[in-house]
Amino acid sequence: MNMILENPIILGLIIGALFGAALFLSGLANPDKIIGTLRLKDLHAMRVIIVFLVIGMIGVMLLERYGLEHLGIKSTGLLSALVGGAFLGVGFGLTGYCPGTGLACAITGRIDALITVLGMFVGAYVYIRLYHGLVVPLDKIWDYGKIRWPETLGIQHSVTIAILVVLAIICLIMTRCKKKAE
Amino acid sequence: MEEKKDAGMQPVAKASLPWWLGGLLLGLIMVLAVWAYDPLGVSTQFVILDTKIIQHFDAEYVAEHPVISKDKYQSLGYGFWLDIGLLGGALIAALVVGRWKLQTTCSWWDANHGKSPVLRFITGFIGGILILFGSRVAGGCTSGMMASGWVQLAVNALPFTIGLFIAGIFVARLVYPKSPEIEK
Repeated sequence: MNMILENPIILGLIIGALFGAALFLSGLANPDKIIGTLRLKDLHAMRVIIVFLVIGMIGVMLLERYGLEHLGIKSTGLLSALVGGAFLGVGFGLTGYCPGTGLACAITGRIDALITVLGMFVGAYVYIRLYHGLVVPLDKIWDYGKIRWPETLGIQHSVTIAILVVLAIICLIMTRCKKKAE
Repeated sequence: MEEKKDAGMQPVAKASLPWWLGGLLLGLIMVLAVWAYDPLGVSTQFVILDTKIIQHFDAEYVAEHPVISKDKYQSLGYGFWLDIGLLGGALIAALVVGRWKLQTTCSWWDANHGKSPVLRFITGFIGGILILFGSRVAGGCTSGMMASGWVQLAVNALPFTIGLFIAGIFVARLVYPKSPEIEK
């Protein structure tokens, strides 16, 4: 067991395999499900994501309580996050893929996803090339470092999660009504 | 592949798992990742593989670049093997549930643009460029920035999610106005 936990290659392979299988089986690695959610016609993917985030945030809170966590918060400035998210969103809405689901779809027989993955390698190259001109200036705007909601709002970790869980449940109930109405 | 393609549009099939179970598994895998090593993330590896290629042609450029000269971008570690594992896991899952299928478009595409794979490939390639470029500008993709960001209660996950969904909803509305049949 210790050998597995100390070996990043084996750990990466195991966790990656579980993640890839779950992406496929949950329907997130399916462009029809993603486009359906973005068109607000088939909210399956949205509901999967909501449960994913809620379970994840509760689990990470418990890990932190026992000091068992390995956090990796990104230091991205808020404007870079917004602008980068929007670029990704355009590609997401156009194709129904994101990096993880694109890989999962490409390996499960979707030729269009394979071509999108090739585009991703070009996108990474564009990022490397435009780093000085675009990314650096953008990153300096609204840059507050690795901040988290509880410290920012001055409320407890558990209270923050309780608020988000209530919001998530409201979202799930609302989308359920919509589904029945159709 | 086996049926005649012109026989009519394929409805959007249900996912293999119900929404709550799919979400539960993904959430538990995220917790496992945070416990074992590092939160989930996918997109950095594209930059690392590009760096490996650029290194062959212009090592000096790599050495002087503020991002790709870093150690993290020079070696294939946990994140790389996570992506390889992801490919293997998705492949096995698809084979086990009998859903591995050669496809060139999807139902939403067919309902709006007919069965025209060429246009799907062109838009897919352009989409891929935007997807990875945007991910790196934001510091992560839907896994590394949205999912990992929210579970750690990172503030920058909020503007990322807003940008992602506003742009995604807007573009999907333009590109896919007509809805195919959806299995409930």
